[in-house]
Amino acid sequence: MRAFNAELSKLLSLPGIWLALVIGALAPAVVAALDSIVEKADIVAGISTRLSDIGYIGLGFGVQGVIIIGVLAVSSEYVTESSEAGGGQQITTSLTVVASRLQFLLAKACAVIVISVLLCIVTIMTTVLATQLILGEHAPEFEWTRLIGAVCYWTFTALLAFGITLLTKNGMIPLTVLIINSSVVSFSFLLTKATKLAFYLPDRAGMDMFMSERYLTPVTGGLVMLAWVVVILIIAAIEFHRRDVAA
Amino acid sequence: MSVLSSKTFTRILGAELDKLMTLPLIWHTLISTFMVNIILAAAYTTSSLHAEAGTQNILNIGLASMGYVQAGFIIIGIVAVCSEYTGGQIRTTLTTIPWRGWQLTAKYVALAIVTIPAALIIAATGVLYPYIMMRDTASVAIEINTLIATLIGATGYLTLTTLLSAALGSLIRRTTPVLVTLVSYYFIVGPLMRDALPSIKNYFPDTAGYYMYMVPYANEINALTSVQGTGIVMVWTLILIIIAIVFYRKRDA
Repeated sequence: MRAFNAELSKLLSLPGIWLALVIGALAPAVVAALDSIVEKADIVAGISTRLSDIGYIGLGFGVQGVIIIGVLAVSSEYVTESSEAGGGQQITTSLTVVASRLQFLLAKACAVIVISVLLCIVTIMTTVLATQLILGEHAPEFEWTRLIGAVCYWTFTALLAFGITLLTKNGMIPLTVLIINSSVVSFSFLLTKATKLAFYLPDRAGMDMFMSERYLTPVTGGLVMLAWVVVILIIAAIEFHRRDVAA
Repeated sequence: MSVLSSKTFTRILGAELDKLMTLPLIWHTLISTFMVNIILAAAYTTSSLHAEAGTQNILNIGLASMGYVQAGFIIIGIVAVCSEYTGGQIRTTLTTIPWRGWQLTAKYVALAIVTIPAALIIAATGVLYPYIMMRDTASVAIEINTLIATLIGATGYLTLTTLLSAALGSLIRRTTPVLVTLVSYYFIVGPLMRDALPSIKNYFPDTAGYYMYMVPYANEINALTSVQGTGIVMVWTLILIIIAIVFYRKRDA
């Protein structure tokens, strides 16, 4: 529990995290608002085919916030301090204080999960508010099951980013790849055009938890994404457990 | 900026090139960008072979992966500049080269020297792959002039994007914020803005840059010519570079 508090405090004192929180809370609302404006005429006329996805589209494309959180949680530990500050890495201090590596990882992962869930709840509020303001009475009802799906999607995405960064230690590559992949035309979307197997990639499967245009059922999609997260976290944990700290 | 002898500038340029060449992350990024480009070109080629929608434009298939490949060049631009600021390398640099304006200029020139051949190779493989794969299926007569113009456009776009990222990098000086800003601009905000603000989209570096290498569709309205596109991207890059140099000279390192 004390390790968890420490990790939470470390995370929240990173300036990058606050940037991530702002992006995470506002970006989906902006996407949802733009989408609502574009679709408004169709919705009022009652011919829109995408009414059920309004708002969720923002939650689907606005995951950059949690990606940054997951990546920074790990990469900040591995940043080499400037030579004036001793040229050390935070990870050596962290592992001196919390000697058990698994406990350290667990505490860090829990901190990431807690922040992601809270962020997602705030985001859902801003997004719902944005669609209500623009569409007024035409705004779709938000169902609890789908919103919970969105929370799961955000949390799993954060954990994926966390696990991948644990393997690469450097934040740049996972950050770039994951942010690009969360964009409108993602790698995995492209791959679904080439092979059906791509529907089982974590982000495609995860989106099935709350988008209405889906390939897997919400529960299967969630399980598939969870399986990815678990596998990557296990690999990362083994690797982290065996790796020399300074390496 | 004080006047320097050309010999001194050559030596600064040599030093900057040396620093770039010895950054491992630059090479890793270049190699992975190259690999990803080939994989994407393969994916696009396969899906357009399946589509069989009449005559496909090989150039557009080959350069469709450019949208992703530019991420690699953004990283290179940022790393080249921001690596000075992790640890105290910047102070060593400025002690040995006490002419800040020239030093930063030399860095951008060195960056361009590295980027141009890399961009050319990557763009060329992107076009070559679908050409080889689709040689027997579709009518693939492309004029050599169009090919050369497109490749030059693509190379220019990637180089200018790298320089633009480097300029923003020396303004913000920290890797992660610059990276997040640029990647979310080019991949999230940019595409959204194209739909939301069609009237001014052509004046932003990503859309204007798109016209540097893409053959516009015949029915597209208010498309830019490649020269106009180049001009707009160049203006953005130059303005950012000038701001970066001014700040670099005024600011405490």
